[in-house]
Amino acid sequence: MPIIWLIGVLSALSVLSAPKIPYIFRHSCFMISSASDDETNSDTAALPLHGHSARREILGLEMQIETPENVVLTYQLAGPAQRYIAYMIDLAIRLAIMFGVMMVLPMLGIVLPGTATGLLLVIMFLNTWGYYTISEGFFKGQSIGKHLCGLRVIRDGGYPITFWPALLRNLVRSADAIVFYGIGITSMLLTRRFQRLGDLVAGTVVIQEQSLSLPRKPVILNKIQPLNKNDIGSFLPRDEVLSLIDEFIGRRHVLTYERGHALAGILARNLAERLNYSGDPKKVTLYPMAFLAAVYKTFSFSQEEEEQELVSTSHPQQQSAGVSLE
Amino acid sequence: MNKHKFIQHRRPYWKQFEEFLAGTSGKSLAKLPAEEITKFSQLLREVSHDLATIRSRGWGHDLISYLNDLVARGHNLFYSAPPTNIAGLYRYLAFDFPRLFRANIGYFLTACLLFFLPLAISWCVVQNHPDLANRVIPAEVMASFDQMYGAESQLNTDTEISEDQQDTDSSEESDFGSFGDERATMAGFYINHNVGIALKCFALGILLGIGTVYTLLFNGIFLGAVSGYIVSQGHGDRFLSFVISHGSFELTAIAISGGAGLMLGNALIHPGQRTRFQSLQVRGLEAVQIAGGAAVMLVIAAFIEAFWSPSDIPNLVKYIVGSGLWLIVVLYLGLAGLQSDTRPFSMGNRERNRSPETDLNGSRQP
Repeated sequence: MPIIWLIGVLSALSVLSAPKIPYIFRHSCFMISSASDDETNSDTAALPLHGHSARREILGLEMQIETPENVVLTYQLAGPAQRYIAYMIDLAIRLAIMFGVMMVLPMLGIVLPGTATGLLLVIMFLNTWGYYTISEGFFKGQSIGKHLCGLRVIRDGGYPITFWPALLRNLVRSADAIVFYGIGITSMLLTRRFQRLGDLVAGTVVIQEQSLSLPRKPVILNKIQPLNKNDIGSFLPRDEVLSLIDEFIGRRHVLTYERGHALAGILARNLAERLNYSGDPKKVTLYPMAFLAAVYKTFSFSQEEEEQELVSTSHPQQQSAGVSLE
Repeated sequence: MNKHKFIQHRRPYWKQFEEFLAGTSGKSLAKLPAEEITKFSQLLREVSHDLATIRSRGWGHDLISYLNDLVARGHNLFYSAPPTNIAGLYRYLAFDFPRLFRANIGYFLTACLLFFLPLAISWCVVQNHPDLANRVIPAEVMASFDQMYGAESQLNTDTEISEDQQDTDSSEESDFGSFGDERATMAGFYINHNVGIALKCFALGILLGIGTVYTLLFNGIFLGAVSGYIVSQGHGDRFLSFVISHGSFELTAIAISGGAGLMLGNALIHPGQRTRFQSLQVRGLEAVQIAGGAAVMLVIAAFIEAFWSPSDIPNLVKYIVGSGLWLIVVLYLGLAGLQSDTRPFSMGNRERNRSPETDLNGSRQP
């Protein structure tokens, strides 16, 4: 017992005296204190925490960059298949341009046949070498095909692409295009961000642009009754757990019915245990999703009501924030 | 603060930001009034803050990706590059390109060695043994060269070449018109063909420089063989007076773009203190600016080759003008942009243009 106390004092002293060294100490202290806080709900808390820490290492279609506002932005990378479709659209457009020019130029050719041919050759040159450079360099990284597919070229630092990188990545296209883009596709498959050689040289990536709308509350919540206060104990689920439930319900149609219920069952059983739920046990085992929704409704909305009461009785806002942060 | 409350509180600002983004899509930020930009920058920081808040509290994937998308679009608009203009093009041609060229002159000299040495050797060999030309030049190409220079050397005689018939038959005015018209075709052809070769020569440098070396050697040997063959057939004076003017820009530009391609390849082979990809990015951006200058030079060469070189001017004048053009090329590449930038505003522009690159470079180095 005295030894533990001594270690505690020493670590506290080191925290005070030398703020640089005891990072590990502080970290471990934090771990201990947070563990004691979460002792009651460690099972449920583990779910979102796990997802949080794993986000750094996933090998996925995402690219993270830090903006000057010190916020991490996530971009969805575009894979070879999507870019192939965009390429085919662009190819069709380029062929259409050539076809259109060949239809129009003979009219000029009546007067000046030589100039018409020369113009045709110049346009052919621009069409081969300049189409992508001009469209990506001057229209914010989107050729027409990329625009239609919702793709965009950006610098790998998150900056919009400018003229020189656009020229570079599209000149090197001719090296990528060897063996029907075999070199480009190989390079794309070997790199983490699906970069072909041109992207690697110019330091660019192709991303997907999604235009999302603000998510709404799941409709299911309107029909769900909150849990009876007498059936549950004094336990309050953490905010992360509640938003996990929210998200799960919002995306439940992605899973099959059975799988969704099997997944929901794990969380529902744990939550029922923590809550000391004394109501109908069939509600937990047979309809876990409905149970989760009820838990969500109970806590997220009851908190809101409490807060409004607190605010209305002229308490300072810090207190209400302090309550809700639990 | 509770999630729902937070959303309720912040949602109007997000909507405002969204409307702003939709309203300015396709427009440059610089064209908006100052108050709007101030408001936009404040909103961008606020929404960024909201994103950080929501992400740290784990308030749902949908919400995060919605805000992430908002911030990403705002970021893209806010940090977009200043619009490029004619002044930028002038600055590039007058200062940046020659400076970059001189800074990396070693690559250019190597490319010259790879291009002009085979050219000289194959020229000498073929001129002394014209029958060897068959091995390098395809038969039909050779025939066309024979016809081109042979026919022109027999001007004003009865030949079947349409151009010569027009020359002799038609009046002065239409003669000039048809000449210019024919030449326009050739200008288009030279732009398409030569600039294409130069750009390909540069781009293939990414394959460890092998593609560039191949293109340089091949073109050097081919051009040398053609020259040697034509001179050995006795059309030397006509050929040299034709070639000397545009050769100044054309041959130099091919070597320059080859040098830029070697730069790309060497960035992969000898990355120095950086990783291979980093060195490729840093030097690639310089290399492409050099290759761009070479492309501009080739366009100039195409017009000289099409309109000046074949014109009906005494050979002596052509030699004098051609020598003058070589002098211009040497002076331009050697001396342009040597003076310091004295104008303060152009310095500011350059600094602003460069700043993203230097930032990137700085953050890349450990």
